[in-house]
Amino acid sequence: MRRPVSRRAAPALLGAVLAWTAHAQTAPAAANPSSQPAPAAGIQTVTVTYTRDPVDKSYRKMIRGMERFQREHALAPQATLRFRLLPRSPTVDMHGILLRVIGDHITVPVPVAPDNSFTLPRNEQALQEDAAVVANRKTTSMTWRAQVMTPGLPPGTRRLGDLRLECLVGMEAGLVSNSSPLFGWISNALTSPEQVCNSAEGNFLFFTERPVFAVTLRAGDRTEVLPFHFLYAGGDQTRDMLPFCDCQVLLDRTYYAPIWDRGWPDDTLVSFEFMDDAPETAP
Amino acid sequence: MNARRTVAVGALAAALLSGCATRAPEPGTSVAEARFDALVVPGRTTRAELLAAFGPTKTVVFDSGMAAWLYTAPAAGGGHAELVLLLGRDGIVKKMRKRPPYPTDPAP
Repeated sequence: MRRPVSRRAAPALLGAVLAWTAHAQTAPAAANPSSQPAPAAGIQTVTVTYTRDPVDKSYRKMIRGMERFQREHALAPQATLRFRLLPRSPTVDMHGILLRVIGDHITVPVPVAPDNSFTLPRNEQALQEDAAVVANRKTTSMTWRAQVMTPGLPPGTRRLGDLRLECLVGMEAGLVSNSSPLFGWISNALTSPEQVCNSAEGNFLFFTERPVFAVTLRAGDRTEVLPFHFLYAGGDQTRDMLPFCDCQVLLDRTYYAPIWDRGWPDDTLVSFEFMDDAPETAP
Repeated sequence: MNARRTVAVGALAAALLSGCATRAPEPGTSVAEARFDALVVPGRTTRAELLAAFGPTKTVVFDSGMAAWLYTAPAAGGGHAELVLLLGRDGIVKKMRKRPPYPTDPAP
């Protein structure tokens, strides 16, 4: 069974999650001012206007992702990099999302395109303040990906080198959105971009634009259809497992690409048959 | 607090590593390809007819109400072909495709 990088440890980690929860409960007072005694005379009161959600994206990490894109640009020499917001919860409204880089003393608005993609400006103060990239949506309602696109490809196709770079940038930038802050924390501790993107066990999930029925790779004379277990997050997600996967509402758009298999060159064309494509008819 | 956190990290690391183990993907029910070809017609064949003819198999159901079904068929040169069906909300086969075995497929 293939396990998406975002949820593969979910059942096994449950006990540890509970342990962590118990740990976290040792310090609830800071989040509940009403339970605190009035400050003694002479003690300065600090008003916190913004508390970073542990699942917010780190601006520093996303900038590191952009730097990774520059370093590894040979994988996709003609491509440009954008980031993209994708739905994760069934009820999230993906229209009119506002995105900001928020530090202790700085706020930088980030324009979001109609397709919910964006680029991140480089800001030294935000870097110094270890700012967060924050959307006006609940953090667990969306997931994030890098989008590396070579221009001029046939419609409905991707390039394998672009996908390789999307994985490296996405992992470097910490974009995979997990159910619990704990998952992001432990995932970052134990999975490097190389471990995830260069291994058949990396299980980095990609998403198509529409529900997908088949994925085909073409390189020169070689053509192969990906096996069924490369689609739909392995095809073995149960209802109780899906909330731990950032493919939660995108299951029918989810696929693995063999980015770890150097037998497929970067110029390999990845094409899709979508569920709503009209059936082929004889000429 | 640091000691507790260290313990938690260790437990989580062990749990995560154990969670990384993978196993071979669950195959679909094996059927005779000729019989499959004779019986399955996109736009007409129903879920009930599939179950009656071939039995239950590996299925992925989506929020849209659509479902993907996977059957397999022994291939002439060894290995197996994948016979993949897309069923609509009405339970009728909407699409069908076949994936032959490739020399690069891992051994079962």
